Amino acid sequence: MRDAATTTRFIATLLFIAAAVSTPGAQQRGSSGPLPRTADGKPDLTGVYQASTRRGAWDYDVPGEQAGVPAARPAGDAQPTGARPEPVPFTPEARQRAQAILNRRSVDDPATLCLPQPTPRMTPVALFPVQIVQTPQQIVMLYEYFGQSRVIPIGGKQPDDIEPAYMGNAVGHWDGDTLVVEMVGFKPGLWFGNGLVTTDALKITERFTRIDHDQLNYEAVLEDPKVLTKPYTMRSTLMLREGTRLREYSCIENNVDPQRYEKLLSDPSTFTRTPPVQ
Amino acid sequence: MTLTVAVRSAAALALVALLAPPPAGAHHSFGVVYDANKPVTLTGTVTKFEWTNPHSHLFIDVKDGSGKVVSWALEGYPATVLARTGWKRDETVKIGDTITIFGWRARDGSPLAHLRQATLPDGRKLFFGPPAGTGEGAATVR
Repeated sequence: MRDAATTTRFIATLLFIAAAVSTPGAQQRGSSGPLPRTADGKPDLTGVYQASTRRGAWDYDVPGEQAGVPAARPAGDAQPTGARPEPVPFTPEARQRAQAILNRRSVDDPATLCLPQPTPRMTPVALFPVQIVQTPQQIVMLYEYFGQSRVIPIGGKQPDDIEPAYMGNAVGHWDGDTLVVEMVGFKPGLWFGNGLVTTDALKITERFTRIDHDQLNYEAVLEDPKVLTKPYTMRSTLMLREGTRLREYSCIENNVDPQRYEKLLSDPSTFTRTPPVQ
Repeated sequence: MTLTVAVRSAAALALVALLAPPPAGAHHSFGVVYDANKPVTLTGTVTKFEWTNPHSHLFIDVKDGSGKVVSWALEGYPATVLARTGWKRDETVKIGDTITIFGWRARDGSPLAHLRQATLPDGRKLFFGPPAGTGEGAATVR
């Protein structure tokens, strides 16, 4: 058993490291410059971004000495914190369904069929950039992943003829320096990872806050009383990637999964798993 | 368990949770097709390169223990991601090149693998696909 002082130092060290990696935008080089603004004084979100907490050029892993394992990152370089730091507040029924999905290793994920995905699922994906084009009247967001896009009118109201959609219907407004995007009108059966599948009651409120030249903080609050007992918040940090362009990602170009899965699903026992005993 | 140990365990778990990387963005589940418990290292000759979305495929001929040549299909990142991971189409790897790969085999035992890392003829190492387990979710609901 360690003595009290050693234990306290150990915990303090852990908490220090945890704070260093959990602070949005934690990194060693500091702010790269002030938040740019448009002529009307609003924050200018225009740019190409990547989900990451590293500033500068495109952030990707390189192999290390051991096959398949990334090289160690430089000291002080924070790992991204991920988009789901808090547990999902499932209803009991939704939790049961989520576990069943995980037991099947998410084989039924509609992404496998190249179906469009809701933005809180696409935004924090570190491999693919997101481009924002801003005008005073509307903001356009382009996603390389699945080649999706959306136009967000600023200051508008939700239309009264919404058709259920994979990405819902978005309207935006400014709350100080934060762009708030409210979305309703989702199709039922959308996947958000961790076994969360939403219903037609889903409402999402996104908040985009560009805190300096490089960093855009992203938050999405999901409300769906049919599967969640309270609002569920997903967070991610995006970093500006000057010099990066969006490329064509045609998901159906060479999608061999449906054929493979058709064969594998004839005997799911080959890949299903049982959760470890808690 | 003493309180000290409990607090220490909780702090360690919190740190592990905070270090979790962001979603790698798999279009499909790794574990439906591939087995993370079946790592494989192969050396072979490149015969074909499908530089495509939503996944690229590299094909290599590998001699098995009896000298028989087996064509392996190796799956990895989409073309858009490869381009940002250091790969150049028709340049980084050419047909006829000998490369060594590390990955994980398909569950069904066929000559199919998820290609994580390639070692090129000049010794350079590049990732070709995400880590094992991407896209399938954790074993238990969080």
